[in-house]
Amino acid sequence: MKALEVRSISKMFPGNLANDNISFSVEKGEIFAIVGENGAGKSTLMNIIYGIYTPSGGDLLVNEKEVKIRSVEDAIKLRMGMVHQEFMLIPRFTVTQNIVIGDEPHKGIFFDYGRAVREVRELSERVSLTVDATAVAGDLPVGVQQRIEILKVLRRGAQILIFDEPTAVLTPEETVDLFVTMRKLQAEGKTILFISHKLKEVMEIADRIAVLRRGKLQGIVNKKDTNEEELARMMVGRNVVLEIPKVDVEVGAVAFACHDLHVRNKRGYETVKGMSFDVRGGEIVGIAGVQGNGQDELVNAMIGFSHPVSGSMELNGKNMRLVTTAQLRKEGMSYITEDRARRGLVMPYTVRENAVMGQHLGRPFSKGIRMDYDKLAEFAEGKVREYDIRPGDVYDTAGSLSGGNQQKLILARELSLPHNFLIASQPTRGLDVGATEFVYHKLLEEKKAGKAILLISLELSEILGLSDRILVIFEGHIVGETTPDKTTEEALGLLMLGVGIDKKVQS
Amino acid sequence: MNITQINLTIAQMLDYTTPILFAALCGVLSESSGVVNIGLDGIMRFGAFFGLLGAFFSHSPWIGLLLGIAIGCLVGALHAFITIKWNGDQTVSGTAINVIATGLMTYLLEYVFSTTGYSPQLQNYFGAQAYRVHLPFLAKVPLLGAFSDLSVMIWFGFICTVLMHVLLYHTVLGLRIRTCGENPKAATTLGINVFRVRWFAVIAGAALAGIGGAALSISSFSGFSDSMPNGVGFIGLAAMIFGKWTPFGALGAALLFGTGQIVQSLIAVTGIAPKLAPGLTLILPYVLTLAVLAGFVSRSIAPAADGMPYYKEQR
Ligand SMILES: Nc1ncnc2c1ncn2[C@@H]1O[C@H](COP(=O)(O)OP(=O)(O)O)[C@@H](O)[C@H]1O
Ligand SMILES: [Mg+2]
Repeated sequence: MKALEVRSISKMFPGNLANDNISFSVEKGEIFAIVGENGAGKSTLMNIIYGIYTPSGGDLLVNEKEVKIRSVEDAIKLRMGMVHQEFMLIPRFTVTQNIVIGDEPHKGIFFDYGRAVREVRELSERVSLTVDATAVAGDLPVGVQQRIEILKVLRRGAQILIFDEPTAVLTPEETVDLFVTMRKLQAEGKTILFISHKLKEVMEIADRIAVLRRGKLQGIVNKKDTNEEELARMMVGRNVVLEIPKVDVEVGAVAFACHDLHVRNKRGYETVKGMSFDVRGGEIVGIAGVQGNGQDELVNAMIGFSHPVSGSMELNGKNMRLVTTAQLRKEGMSYITEDRARRGLVMPYTVRENAVMGQHLGRPFSKGIRMDYDKLAEFAEGKVREYDIRPGDVYDTAGSLSGGNQQKLILARELSLPHNFLIASQPTRGLDVGATEFVYHKLLEEKKAGKAILLISLELSEILGLSDRILVIFEGHIVGETTPDKTTEEALGLLMLGVGIDKKVQS
Repeated sequence: MNITQINLTIAQMLDYTTPILFAALCGVLSESSGVVNIGLDGIMRFGAFFGLLGAFFSHSPWIGLLLGIAIGCLVGALHAFITIKWNGDQTVSGTAINVIATGLMTYLLEYVFSTTGYSPQLQNYFGAQAYRVHLPFLAKVPLLGAFSDLSVMIWFGFICTVLMHVLLYHTVLGLRIRTCGENPKAATTLGINVFRVRWFAVIAGAALAGIGGAALSISSFSGFSDSMPNGVGFIGLAAMIFGKWTPFGALGAALLFGTGQIVQSLIAVTGIAPKLAPGLTLILPYVLTLAVLAGFVSRSIAPAADGMPYYKEQR
């Protein structure tokens, strides 16, 4: 039996066809995956099915009956549930409050919190998803927050479950746990729609896979009859070069150097404990390490967000230890951040404004106190073309772009600033194959142009593929230096975990 | 000062506190659902005038109070219409209400009573002996004696505080109101109609501001003055912030600001500081408000989606 059928669904956003005539059906008890690059329209489609967005056209069938889903209430009544890409939690509320809102145990008009807690505990035990019913949701790790979301959906009796990129925020261990849960739900006869752009995961968990590209359904394949390469090709629309080409460039002068650098984090603990290294023109130095081993604080010190406690920092031979970000930028530093929302872009501002931010003072973009918005637009339009930023209207807000296009916009701005030293902090985090490839390509171009590049990444394949030299950090120390040809992912992984490191080096 | 004087002073302080409290409660309810209503000062002005109007022509303050509530709901509905239905800017809408209230009430005062500055005085108002709540058994108790002879509006204020607390923290509706103020999108995904909840919170809140206005003209005073509400609505907003958007916090803050008012009139009446220009002591409550806000605003936390318009297909 078909649990869900989508017939010719389209969704038009102002100037943007996010879903274009999409039709498919999902069997009861099936795990049906939908893959596609960022911005392909996956979330839009799911939001339509769940009643949050109204489709511009098309029909929905649930259990082979045509239905009109005008609101989330309708969807819930049809026993659908959705775990959203961004969690829909209220950090200040307790786990129980979060799970029961919308269908609260009550006595008359009064909310029966005691009964709610009991119900949540029972449910959590029955489906073996452990949560502390009275903890405050905002204090919990993302893995647990996701469990709250799943419990919320199960409590409402959902038979069709939508998971929108549930693994994007999870650690590998948490992902394993999630898949166990999903299999269990499937065994109970529930139907699951699983959204992802990680092909490995899809190949592991799904029964059938639908591929979306730019709002269009490219095809539906059985897991058994396909492989990652084919899926990648369908997603991107051409053969994807996952290999990173080797580029040989003559190494130039030292651009950035630090010696015995000590940095404290926001809470006052020293998390960079004496790092020394340099980066030369024409080389990419990769910093490998497990998250939370001093990367953030190192970057903050290098971009002038915090001042090192001690040690020296030089850019192009000038002392930069106690300077501001503006001075660093003037001296030739550019910065690509993984935190696009808070550091990289001003989301409510347009593409046009974001593209020139940082060079907006003075000519050509302003005269005195007056901004020359025509110049801004002209410049931004050039960048939009050069970097293929979609949908390409410079009057769109940065927030309306997909993650990949936001990253392209950041690259466009940072690389157009005069610079000879580039800090790339997890530059491909959350990006799909196509956008990742684009970022690699740009970094290599920078290298060819003789810029010095520091690459901080958690992805070992990226570190190994791009770097000329690799520094491994562990608990605030550089515990090893190597080159890609002298090491492997496994060896790096062990080093990153502090295995086999002489304790003396650490203290 | 003897006991009687102290009791009188406390009673007067509570008189000052009540309109501030109602304003603050209006803010708490409205902002808990995510809608900022800085128009509440103007709504109080509406409530003050229409409260007087009802009481004057019917000779009953109760009719005045009902009219105050009705006009509060009406103006609140206007704010809701602009900000919830049409996603208008909440600050602009609130400011417009304040401006309209200023001009319209002055006009109506002259039009209805053919006077300027002050309306005729009421005989039957909540502050009058006949309308006070007499609790003789408290009269002899030190401090509590102040509570033996208060306007019914003051008690009403306390009761509303408790009711609001129960509403927000112990009812299903309260949980949903707070959900809409924290994360309207999440509320939507749970099948809650954010718009309906916000309509309710804004209008019910505005009714409280209307009561607060009536408390000025037909309880603390026995008539409407053209300067009403004298910024009490804004002091109420400050009390809401200082009270961390909770009903009891708002009550505590309103009591503090009420004390500021009474200290100001004590200085004026007793002549403790004769050298101070009289106008200067008048600003004391407002200076206190500023000082408190400057010290505490950064430390209190508003509902996460406070003041943000919401439309369904937003991301
Ligand atoms: N609420 C919205 N308003 C306007 N445009 C939107 C909205 N949501 C998504 N879009 C646009 O629709 C396209 C598809 O987005 P989305 O469904 O989020 O993609 P995916 O989930 O596959 O990454 C993107 O171009 C995005 O910018
Ligand atoms: Mg998405």
